[in-house]
Amino acid sequence: MTSHVRDLSWQVVVGGMLRRGIVLIVLVGLMTYFASQSDRFFQSRNLVNILEQNAALMIVTVGMTLTMLIAGIDLSVGSVAALAGAISAGLIVNNGFSFEVSVVVTLALGFAIGLLNGGLIIWGKLPPFIATLAMLGIGRGLTLLYTEGRPISLNGVDQYTFYGRGDVTLPVFGQTPVSVLVALAVVMIVSVILSATRFGLHIYAIGGSEETARLAGVPVTRVKMIVYGSSGMLAALGGMLLTARLFSAQPQAAVGMELDAIAAAVLGGVSLFGGVGNVIGAVTGGLLIGVLSNGMNLLRLASFLQQMIQGTVLVVAVAIDMIIKRIEGV
Amino acid sequence: MNQDDKQTLLRLQNIHKSFPGVHALNDVTMSVLPGEIHGLLGENGAGKSTLMKILNGVYRADSGNIVWQGNAIEIHSPQDAQRNGISMIHQELALVGYLDAGKNIFLGREPGGIIPGTINWGRMYADAGRIVDELGLAIDVRRPVRFFSLAQQQMIEVAKALSLEARLIIMDEPTSSLTDREVETLFSQMRALRDRGVSIIFISHRLEEIFAICDRVTVLRDGAWVATSPIADLTTDTLIKYMVGREVDQIFEPRTGSISGQVILEVKDLNRGDRVKNITFQLRQGEILGIAGLVGAGRTETLETIFGAHPASSGIIRVNGEQVRIRRPDQAIKQGIGFVTEDRKGQGLFPAMTVAINIAITRLAELVRAVLVNRGAVNTLAEDFIARLDIRTPSAQQKVQNLSGGNQQKVIISRWMTLNPRVLMLDEPTRGIDVGAKHEIYRLMRQLASEGVGIIMVSSELPEILGVSDRVLVMHEGRIAGEFNPQHATQDDLMTAATGMVQEGFRL
Amino acid sequence: MRKTLTLVLVIMMALLSVVVTTAQDAPTIGLSVSTLNNPFFVTLVEGAQAAADAAGAELIVLDAQDDSATEAANIEDLIAQGVDAILVNPTDSDAIVPSILAANDAGIPIFTVDRSAAGGEVVSHVASDNVAGGMLAAQFLCDALGGAGKVVELEGIPGTSAARDRGAGFNAYMSQSCTGVEVVARQTANFNRAEGLTVFENILQAQDTINGVFAHNDEMILGAIEAATAAGREGITFVGFDAVDDAVAAVNNGTLAATVAQQPALIGQLGVEAAITYLGGGEVVANVPVALSLVTAQ
Repeated sequence: MTSHVRDLSWQVVVGGMLRRGIVLIVLVGLMTYFASQSDRFFQSRNLVNILEQNAALMIVTVGMTLTMLIAGIDLSVGSVAALAGAISAGLIVNNGFSFEVSVVVTLALGFAIGLLNGGLIIWGKLPPFIATLAMLGIGRGLTLLYTEGRPISLNGVDQYTFYGRGDVTLPVFGQTPVSVLVALAVVMIVSVILSATRFGLHIYAIGGSEETARLAGVPVTRVKMIVYGSSGMLAALGGMLLTARLFSAQPQAAVGMELDAIAAAVLGGVSLFGGVGNVIGAVTGGLLIGVLSNGMNLLRLASFLQQMIQGTVLVVAVAIDMIIKRIEGV
Repeated sequence: MNQDDKQTLLRLQNIHKSFPGVHALNDVTMSVLPGEIHGLLGENGAGKSTLMKILNGVYRADSGNIVWQGNAIEIHSPQDAQRNGISMIHQELALVGYLDAGKNIFLGREPGGIIPGTINWGRMYADAGRIVDELGLAIDVRRPVRFFSLAQQQMIEVAKALSLEARLIIMDEPTSSLTDREVETLFSQMRALRDRGVSIIFISHRLEEIFAICDRVTVLRDGAWVATSPIADLTTDTLIKYMVGREVDQIFEPRTGSISGQVILEVKDLNRGDRVKNITFQLRQGEILGIAGLVGAGRTETLETIFGAHPASSGIIRVNGEQVRIRRPDQAIKQGIGFVTEDRKGQGLFPAMTVAINIAITRLAELVRAVLVNRGAVNTLAEDFIARLDIRTPSAQQKVQNLSGGNQQKVIISRWMTLNPRVLMLDEPTRGIDVGAKHEIYRLMRQLASEGVGIIMVSSELPEILGVSDRVLVMHEGRIAGEFNPQHATQDDLMTAATGMVQEGFRL
Repeated sequence: MRKTLTLVLVIMMALLSVVVTTAQDAPTIGLSVSTLNNPFFVTLVEGAQAAADAAGAELIVLDAQDDSATEAANIEDLIAQGVDAILVNPTDSDAIVPSILAANDAGIPIFTVDRSAAGGEVVSHVASDNVAGGMLAAQFLCDALGGAGKVVELEGIPGTSAARDRGAGFNAYMSQSCTGVEVVARQTANFNRAEGLTVFENILQAQDTINGVFAHNDEMILGAIEAATAAGREGITFVGFDAVDDAVAAVNNGTLAATVAQQPALIGQLGVEAAITYLGGGEVVANVPVALSLVTAQ
């Protein structure tokens, strides 16, 4: 066996810990603060609420994280979520398809839209920002066209709404919302893919340096296509959870969700320039946003203040990221 | 197959390659023996990189053969080259900074785990560790490569090549951003590789490095083979003659004699952070003052502080005897101080704009008619400098990014000359520039000096420092560690001062 | 840098510390409002606040920013806080249903204001009827044009219930009771004044004769008036909706013929009063209508 030299300097160790841990530290700090201010905060019902309120955002954030890791972005997720919600509901309510068929078709549609994004970026040579911005508009337009501007009600389609409001009883955890379980499953699966598989490593390599990855024989085009496809598919899944939660597909659902997802990912340590971050961090960032908004509601903060504070938190998080970079000295 | 082919690892035979309008390679033949370090030399545009790209599968030759270990082969892609045992290490390192060394070494060829699609991390890091150990690299393969020095990163690239069982490694200017000490480390590891039977094609512009490391060299000029020879049979002058195609009596311009101009710039007790400590010196009209030192000694920071790019924390600057306040670059420019930075692309040029605009940009305010930029006046100004400095460009309208390094440097110097500076500071002015162009830069500096400009030149190349300067300051850890008369000092004197082995060195 | 950061953190903590203290036995009423980015709802909240203050109750106002999912989260937060009653101004009648069911499960009485819910148990609905408002506008425009002419309809954000209902009322009246008037153009301007201006500019280019315009809110009609003035087109009767301050001023100076007035402050006030009556054990009717009126120059 070989002897390995461990020569990490303290800056690297501290920087790495902060990078991984800062969002968690802030989250715990914030929760402690809210708990000290409101006895309602730490009730299990409220904590479950927070998870449930953010299940769809968490799933969309996972997809966004994938695109950001390859130094891209997907601004179309909110529109794709709305379109997916509308079509999945429409297939059942208007066309009489079964729930299962509707889910499969909708996820495939999301994946296809993602592939279209990827195609525009790779072969159309459009910057990801522009390609997905175009899809943001197209997706919303298609949603309004498909729904004729009216919500599609799912009242009574229990099989569907179960995923938005239903609970299952688990050992230890007790009553657990299905939507939260779906989100956690997505997070775990993608997390394992990123950290343990060749595909995951290739995502980081492409984000770190696409040219280097290409020279090393990484199938860059295929990986990027799958990443954008996955982002579209996860946006579709998020859109369906949102629809299930509201018992209706809203044409104006998830407006601005892409910005929440980007904010969550950035808060969670995902670099806008690619190659750095992971989904656990990003989802924790999403929870941070959720806890902040829930806690401020419980503290009865005026809504205008709430928006200001959310903006401030994002700025602070990015500032901390820059300070960490300086500590690492890179 | 003859006996010769059996001993030869690689033979490039009668290679031709044309691009639209250019005959880039004309009947080039070179061969590499097993276990040798083979220098490949030539000025920019001589065809070195085209030849290496053909060998690496990026380009296809129009005609000619690649004979590898006795067999004619075709190489269609870099992966193809790697499969055959040929790896290229580019000047711009092909590493992913955020990934650790092990992942970089095996990127694209990760050993698979039990479950399809997963990676056998244990095996990967063990293999990576074994390879770096064999190279004598004391590094942690789980550390992200961005935390390694450039020299270590070079060696990680070498490790990557070795993991591919490369028998031939092409290194394109691997030393261009290394410190002298790092170059030494790299060279000893290259020699160890050679002793294991690995061959290396080494591309460098630094002749002293060629002499230090290479067994044989091949010289190209204007796309044609000029010479192949054991290094022992060559002198610097013959090498330069091969490369430039004419006798070069001297690379450096003769000094004009004693400098007796008045003091034009005086710096006293200048401080900034721990990189610039109590810097005190004077610069006379017509003088070229060289500043030597190791990378990180504070040379660039000193120039930046004088220029106001980073304001000083304390100290006095006098221009023409008058104390001036410089907190921002525009204040320095107003005092007639110019600064040619080391990073040409990032800090010196507007790469996608024309040569004319790059030269005239600081004078645009004067070159307007009504509110529109007077293109005619801009071109006249630019063409004047193109002629005076012999800038080789098809026209003033060429984008500056298409020019060679030496000509880009002349464009930057032209821009400062449009302002008639009293003091011009140049940071590594000839880095990455080939020999012929270096000579022209030196001549230009001497010409400016003879017109009364005071020149400060920071350089890491000791022959350049000694050959060009009228006076040399050596810096060590932010301080001036010695002052030398280059006509009496040796490279050893400068190194001794630069490494801090003497308190203060003088040989005047 | 570090100083700035510290300052930002201090400001954040200070903002977070602005916690309203609760009086113990007064009832706490939650009000989830669809948006506070619209003067109408701001006025509604002011009316509700005044009524709550008068009754000594505490009012918690949460803003859904026109997003159904945010509104669902807000109502869950109100339930978690254990408020005594919830007033909801739904962003969407269907999407609010699960939230109302959740409040029903928690035993918290629900009141809807301005916009109704499509399901769940609601104690009382306090609103003026947007469909009726649309009809009122149509009737006025029909009379003003003498029962014949060409009119344009500027629609609100597609998919919002206000746009749907106002449009439905307007078009129902026109097609049934005023067949002499033809709707020659129908386009969305997203409840937005700037879009009202550009959209109507385009319509003016396309239509040589326009006798009247109905917009789903005042912002759009004010934009349309600017477009007509700039184009020098006269003789157009403009009718808006909401009676915001700018529109009332426009009515007074004669550029705007009429605007349908809802009474948002009254809606808010009646909503809170209904909740307090109910919490005090009193009877409340299922529908509390709030009168609509037409603001016209006399």
